[in-house]
Amino acid sequence: MATEPKAATAEVVKMDLFEDDDEFEEFEINEDWLEKEEVKEVSQQWEDDWDDDDVNDDFSRQLRKELENGSEKK
Amino acid sequence: MAYVSMGEAHRRITEYLNRFCDAVSYQDSSTLCRLLSFSSNSPPLLSLADALNVFQVHASSLIRQSDKFSEYGEILAHLFRSLQSYRFGNLVEAYLAFEKFANAFVQEFRNWESAWALEALYVVCYEIRILAEKADKELTSNGKSPEKLKAAGSLLMKVFGVLAGKGPKRVGALYVTCQLFKTYFKLGTVNLCRSVIRSIETARIFDFEEFPRRDKVTYMYYTGRLEVFNENFPAADTKLSYALQYCNPKRERNIRMILKYLIPVKLSIGIIPKDELLQNYNLHEYTKIVQALRKGDLRLLRHALQEHEDRFLRSGVYLVLEKLELQVYQRLMKKIYIIQKLSDPARAHQLKLEVIAKALRWLEMDMDLDEVECIMTILIYKNLVKGYLAHKSKVIVLSKQDPFPKLNGKPVGS
Repeated sequence: MATEPKAATAEVVKMDLFEDDDEFEEFEINEDWLEKEEVKEVSQQWEDDWDDDDVNDDFSRQLRKELENGSEKK
Repeated sequence: MAYVSMGEAHRRITEYLNRFCDAVSYQDSSTLCRLLSFSSNSPPLLSLADALNVFQVHASSLIRQSDKFSEYGEILAHLFRSLQSYRFGNLVEAYLAFEKFANAFVQEFRNWESAWALEALYVVCYEIRILAEKADKELTSNGKSPEKLKAAGSLLMKVFGVLAGKGPKRVGALYVTCQLFKTYFKLGTVNLCRSVIRSIETARIFDFEEFPRRDKVTYMYYTGRLEVFNENFPAADTKLSYALQYCNPKRERNIRMILKYLIPVKLSIGIIPKDELLQNYNLHEYTKIVQALRKGDLRLLRHALQEHEDRFLRSGVYLVLEKLELQVYQRLMKKIYIIQKLSDPARAHQLKLEVIAKALRWLEMDMDLDEVECIMTILIYKNLVKGYLAHKSKVIVLSKQDPFPKLNGKPVGS
């Protein structure tokens, strides 16, 4: 009982070497497709202007509390 | 295996031989493809394999007896031997015979003036790679060292040489390149990709855009990943974004794989993915990292990296993500600055090192003032913070104009 799972893990590790290299799935030889809107949308799901001045989130509120708490100490 | 009579075996083998030779003489590439697709395990191929096993050595005399068949005698004999071994699950034997077949086929292909058999050549290239992987698994499980995939790589390189010159066959070079990439990535010898890339990218005789779309997308995915390894993020962004934009929308796994590399690249140039993108493609390993960037939460970044360390290390993006720390520092400094501005606008542009150290302590990073000063020096040097350090008074004086410059799609420090 105790030895069996061990052997199984070794096998998994070995297989992993072969399987997990993010190999791109093969397209069919004659696979063709049109540029579709859906993928264009994927290409647009990015934000480069996220760096706002908002400090009303939980993290900022806690940070503020932390900074203001100690200020009388020093 | 079902019983096959000698007569039936004879009929199946002759039929295959006829179809093969007809496909070649009528230049019928799609039939030829079907006749060569071992890995499809199609019923006609399997029943041919059974027939060959009944007929044994007589198959080669069958080939020799007819002028029509014997013209491709060598090709066919190797192919039959490979298929027989494949059917019995002797994958190393199957590979060795297939390699001989492939060499003979490539020789024939070279002599054909037009590129009519290009698709059949693709099938040969694909099959040899897959068969080599299977043979290597068999070798490994028998305690021997795997070496067939490496051999397949050499053969593919030879095929690349046949296609890469001028002429109508050139359009097939990118398909073989992609098979080579898959081989080299699996073997862990990605530096071997370089010479093929050079040949593709410097060729003036052929415009990249003329290659088939499926190959362009695969090529951009792999070269994009190589640019990630080289930490050339703008180039990685261009290539992976190309792959993303032109990938078949139905190939969700491929889109996910592209994003797996594109997201760290985008993050490193200050662009973040929307939450829907992470959700739609099941890329939750990036959720906390994005949150850490948005908030300036160094602790969260540390935890997110730890949590998925294995995954990030395996895909080779760990070092890229680790470097996001500087951007998270920048964000935290900006938050401190904004908070100070709320209570004391006049002196907000002075950040005391003591205050920064306190924020860091809260995030479970114990640093003395010298260490804090050192990090601030780096942020200023990398142009993530504009201002100067007043060493004696232990203060950073922020520039009044744009104290926290955005990356605007450029890597940190460029």
